[in-house]
Amino acid sequence: MSAPAIHCADIVKRFRIYERRATSLHETFVRFLTGKRILLDQPYFALTDVNITVANGESVGLIGANGSGKSTILRVIAGIYPPSSGTVSLGGSIAAVLELGAGFHPDLSGSDNLYIYGTALGLSRAQIKSRLDEILEFADIGNFIETPVKYYSSGMVARLAFAVAVCIEPDILLLDEVLSVGDESFRDRCMARLIRFRDRGGTLLFVSHDLETVREFCTRAIWMEHGKIRMDAEVDEVIDAYLAHSQ
Amino acid sequence: MKRSSNFSSLRSVWAFRELLWALVLRNLKVKYQRSWLGFFWTLLNPVLTASVLIIVFTHVIRIPIENYWAFLISGYFAWNFMAQCLNAATYTVAEHAPLARSIAFPQEILIIATAFSRLIEFGIELLLVMLVLGSALHGGIPPSFALVPLLVILQLLLCLGLQMPVAVLSAFFKDVQHALPIAIATLFYMSPVFYSADFVPAWMYDAYLLNPIARVLTLYHDVLYRGEFPSLADLGVATGISLLTFYLGYAVFNRSKHLFAEVL
Repeated sequence: MSAPAIHCADIVKRFRIYERRATSLHETFVRFLTGKRILLDQPYFALTDVNITVANGESVGLIGANGSGKSTILRVIAGIYPPSSGTVSLGGSIAAVLELGAGFHPDLSGSDNLYIYGTALGLSRAQIKSRLDEILEFADIGNFIETPVKYYSSGMVARLAFAVAVCIEPDILLLDEVLSVGDESFRDRCMARLIRFRDRGGTLLFVSHDLETVREFCTRAIWMEHGKIRMDAEVDEVIDAYLAHSQ
Repeated sequence: MKRSSNFSSLRSVWAFRELLWALVLRNLKVKYQRSWLGFFWTLLNPVLTASVLIIVFTHVIRIPIENYWAFLISGYFAWNFMAQCLNAATYTVAEHAPLARSIAFPQEILIIATAFSRLIEFGIELLLVMLVLGSALHGGIPPSFALVPLLVILQLLLCLGLQMPVAVLSAFFKDVQHALPIAIATLFYMSPVFYSADFVPAWMYDAYLLNPIARVLTLYHDVLYRGEFPSLADLGVATGISLLTFYLGYAVFNRSKHLFAEVL
């Protein structure tokens, strides 16, 4: 396979600041009448001219300060935010773990939520069933699987969500600060699982503030700043430059 | 910006049909778990309202319709389905915003799932209505009842076609949540729920039928209450309107759905 796993070309993501935007019909109407329509669109450029190419089987870390656009680019790649301009092409199936446990319904049991989450990620019920043992083993929530999620600890929620995402074995996995959620043992197991994923030829792009993890796990890192790529190179080089810059 | 056509969107809905089913189950489970009487509560609300309407319009304001109770129940549950689905459309997308912000999937599935889970309840209600009407009014099951599944499909398409623009507007404007109950209350009087469409004077009848819900309810009255087959013309027009409403409503939704993850 010569095509890259992820190819982002000239991605621009412009947000409108909806908070400042009219959220009532009345306001829209008044603005329409008074002609103050400029107020409606206060664009904010979350990403400007981002070009990222990740080869098959590569593990790339995304680092940078809060608000530098790391999570936004993951969402653009995952297809959640359409880019304002530019193109994303993917060389395989993709799963993104952006907010662990987001979208879990508190009143439903772990297994009910697991099916919603898994089918939203594109699995069929049969596929989920066939991986159920593996998911439950990884999530390690024992008998709680039939208990409503609202009684779970945050670690249990995180484990369950992560378990579903990695057990579906996508070609490309996007992770956003996932490893910082759980305790040591959760982190270790995630790492073991990710290493297995990498060894099988999976492509990984992950956002982390934990630079040691990035150094340990990735061969390459991308440093983002103010919605742009500041540096894209070998991992130690990028992290050293980033650290030097931050101090 | 990528705007998907109705056709390609429907294909992706089909690809995510397992999610649709999981969400339908979720809706029903959330509603009925830890509730001993379960479906009884769902049924109680329209039954009580319908009873009051029957008493009022049979004994207080006497509406000259033979077997008024039968007339009312033949359309009331269909109306109730419509009103509840429209109402649910105002909050469904926001309710699932966390899921939509972390996973990319066709969001119309959320709307379709609310309609389907409500449809399951509506189906049970309709079966009960048909049983009651068959035994107490028609003295048997009239052949026209065979049309009920078709009417349900027409109504579902119409309902989805109205729900989708409501959902889009609700995502951008909080007013919709407040305005919609008023609109529904108004529509209640503008649709033949507690009176027959025959009562509408000839000069305003064409305008009256611009309300697509009125057409569907009239068909229910024909089929369930009168036990007659509606004219092919009526059926054809209703089919056309349902398909058109669905098409347009879905097109509106497809134009805006990519913004939901950002706005909500």
